[in-house]
Amino acid sequence: MTGTSVDTDVAPERLPAPPGERRRGSSRALSLSGIAERYGLLLLLVAMTLVFASLPASGEAFRSTANIQAVLASQAVGLTVALALLFPMAAGSFDFSVGAVTATSSVVAAASVSHFGLPLPLALVLATASGALVGSVLGILVARYAMNPFIATLGMATLLGGAVFAYTNGLQISKDIPATLTDLGSLSWFGVPLIVLAAALIAVVVWFVMSHTPLGRHLFAVGSNASAARLVGLDVARVRFLSFALSGLVSGVAGVLLLARQGAATSDNGMNMLFPALTAVFLSTIVIDVGRPSVLGTVIGVLFVAVSISGLTLVGAPAWVSQVFNGAALLVAVGVAGISRARRGAGSAGLART
Amino acid sequence: MTEEPRSAEPRSPAAAVQLMNVGKTFDGVRVLRNLDFSVARGSVHALLGGNGSGKSTTLKILAGVYAADRGGTIAVHGRLHATDSYTASTARRSGLRFVHQDLGLVPDLTVSENFALEGGYPRLAGPAVSWRRLHRSTRQHLDRAHVDVDPRSLVRDLRPSDRTLVAIARALRDSDGGSHMTLVLDEPTASLPRHEAEILLEAIRGCQARGQTIVYVGHRLSEVLSIADRISVLRDGVLVADSPAADLDEAGIVTLMAGQTPATRGGEARRTAVGETVLKVDRLTAGPVRDVSLHVRQGEIVGVAGLLGSGRSTLLRAIFGQAGVEGGGIQVGGVPVAHRSAAAAMRCGIALVPEDRGADAAFPDLPLWENISATVIGRYWAGWRMARTTERRDSARLMRTFDVRAASPDVPFATLSGGNQQKAVLARWLRLDPRLLLLDEPTQGVDAMARADLHAAIREHVAKGNAALVVSSDFEELEALCHRVVVIRDGSCVAELAGAELTEAAVAGLTQIDRSKGPLT
Ligand SMILES: Nc1ncnc2c1ncn2[C@@H]1O[C@H](COP(=O)(O)OP(=O)(O)OP(=O)(O)O)[C@@H](O)[C@H]1O
Ligand SMILES: [Mg+2]
Repeated sequence: MTGTSVDTDVAPERLPAPPGERRRGSSRALSLSGIAERYGLLLLLVAMTLVFASLPASGEAFRSTANIQAVLASQAVGLTVALALLFPMAAGSFDFSVGAVTATSSVVAAASVSHFGLPLPLALVLATASGALVGSVLGILVARYAMNPFIATLGMATLLGGAVFAYTNGLQISKDIPATLTDLGSLSWFGVPLIVLAAALIAVVVWFVMSHTPLGRHLFAVGSNASAARLVGLDVARVRFLSFALSGLVSGVAGVLLLARQGAATSDNGMNMLFPALTAVFLSTIVIDVGRPSVLGTVIGVLFVAVSISGLTLVGAPAWVSQVFNGAALLVAVGVAGISRARRGAGSAGLART
Repeated sequence: MTEEPRSAEPRSPAAAVQLMNVGKTFDGVRVLRNLDFSVARGSVHALLGGNGSGKSTTLKILAGVYAADRGGTIAVHGRLHATDSYTASTARRSGLRFVHQDLGLVPDLTVSENFALEGGYPRLAGPAVSWRRLHRSTRQHLDRAHVDVDPRSLVRDLRPSDRTLVAIARALRDSDGGSHMTLVLDEPTASLPRHEAEILLEAIRGCQARGQTIVYVGHRLSEVLSIADRISVLRDGVLVADSPAADLDEAGIVTLMAGQTPATRGGEARRTAVGETVLKVDRLTAGPVRDVSLHVRQGEIVGVAGLLGSGRSTLLRAIFGQAGVEGGGIQVGGVPVAHRSAAAAMRCGIALVPEDRGADAAFPDLPLWENISATVIGRYWAGWRMARTTERRDSARLMRTFDVRAASPDVPFATLSGGNQQKAVLARWLRLDPRLLLLDEPTQGVDAMARADLHAAIREHVAKGNAALVVSSDFEELEALCHRVVVIRDGSCVAELAGAELTEAAVAGLTQIDRSKGPLT
């Protein structure tokens, strides 16, 4: 079973009315609680930014151009991984392989130039294609052979992690990475890091595909009710396949950005990139278009986590804070999404109840 | 007709349930206003009204699922509760039992487990569950409610009508516990054939005989009149009538619900069809369907009647490419077809409105306008992007054509009332202008006025040279809508009725024979 079916099959004890009439009130309502619900995270992001920018302990450093550039640049890869995850999430499946695919793609790119002496453009194409290939394999497993996406992607992630380790022998590949590529990770254009521009460009493309093409609509239809989608003539298997293939493709691009930023491919299995991405996508479901993952929401989610962690670090919080914050944000995002559904079920006066 | 101003009568101390000044606002939209009514102990009280008039909302307030706006009072057996302190557990403690329009069953659990969700698991020792005892007690509860379902089967695998029966059996589970119980039913017979509906109504009368109180919502007025002691009518969230059932008749109720005398609609276009054969089914075998042959011509509406499990829905699904065909053939427009997908069937000009709206038609979290255009997404591809504005505007136009009542085209589909959801699904399919329209329980949950409108829309569509095949458990509907009716029994055609022979009673009779002859499966 996929992610969305989890919340359609809730025990009646806890949430007395099943999805038919329970889920989500009007998302266009302009009531105060509606605004708080739709823009809460955005307001929180703005508030966080203002607080850290004005606190004496962090203010000066936080406001500095260098810090802003660093915060943004450090999130470019994370944002791209999260964008990759959006496709399967919109279609109602989890994809736990995005981090591992990103790591693999960066190794493919690095190895192509460093070990095989291929020209850079070809290496980048190979890296991106490797991501698309892995995604397609997952797509076939899930769509054609009805494998549980949870298991399939987790298995693939583990397998890729092992393969990367076997190939790199635990060593990083840093020899002969062309400067053209690492420049992308380090230079700026009118003060904006190039890698941030690249991630923004990818975000715009993903947003366009999700909101302005039939494919985007098909993804959300399958995610909402696969059986109904089949009966209105959609090829559900194809849509599921495409969601994973696109996820692999975008993860492949994320791998290139990762290499550009780090200047070397490591033997890391990429799992540490998965959870921030999941957090961002879940946060996106509690902002603006409540209940639905979105590109804009994902950007807000990524920024929210990045700003918070940067600020906390500047006020002297220890290093483990970042991991704890990520975990907590994921739990809160999932929790708030659930509560907001239940509250809508209980009507807008539901909060009055104790 | 007695049109009483609200709260004029003295409050009866014997009332099982009493609402005083109860209102409900969803995101700024008032859907219930100052509701005042009381349900006498031991009576069957029907709550009627058009689609979206607030019946389900009222019941959900009673259940504590929705919190009513501040300021109202809910009294159960004389105990007063302010609306903001009334919760689901208050309702339960007070002896209210509910079967909601959407039943509240968990599809992935077995029937027994769904019972245990409410009744708890019998224990073997310590925390170990005694499955034997659970299945046995479930079996007993099912038997008492005349439900022939295996406690071990998954709810997902049950037909919708069986699910209704299971949900009712579950609600009635502890009903012989005492006369303090109030059973609240929201459209329990919406997808039940007459024979099953009778069993259910009988079960309700049994409860009443044991001193229990029943609150009943339904759109089949003849059923309501046969069972209710008192009837309250809602219109746009306002109580417009509250009187003994004996004082009302069907026409009077419809007038109250609509707020005006409905124009008499000259329906029942019974003229013989003249066009070419659109659909020809020849000795079709698929799942429960065995050797079925039938044809539908241009300008013709053909009904399919049969009991539960007789293969009616499978027949439609097979034509639409959704069920494996094991033998025989299907021809559309004279060309043999064997569709493998819904898309292929749609390209061939076929449309299917499925029986189970929740499972097979609704995109609950997507906006209404996207639901209405789900069948035509590709048409709005403007070369480089989706023409969303046009698409939304077209959906809004169809909402008006089909009288889909919602706050706006942007609200999530799930917030629509049941009948309005059904109208939106019909709109989604009729906009394709299909030459063959397959309808499975097309007007379930639709109110009397809207049903007449939908029938008119179907007739008009067919009159343009198209054809329709209609499955309905409501034989009254088959009589009113169809030119011919094919009766299916155990997967095979056993009779065909047309012209003067085609009456509700005749159809009912032919399906009843089935029951006396063999065991129902
Ligand atoms: N969760 C919700 N959020 C917003 N609006 C809602 C919600 N639930 C119901 N409504 C609105 O409240 C009104 C009354 O709906 P309700 O379901 O009570 O109607 P009903 O009388 O049961 O109709 P039907 O006969 O079609 O089932 C409708 O306009 C509906 O759109
Ligand atoms: Mg209703």
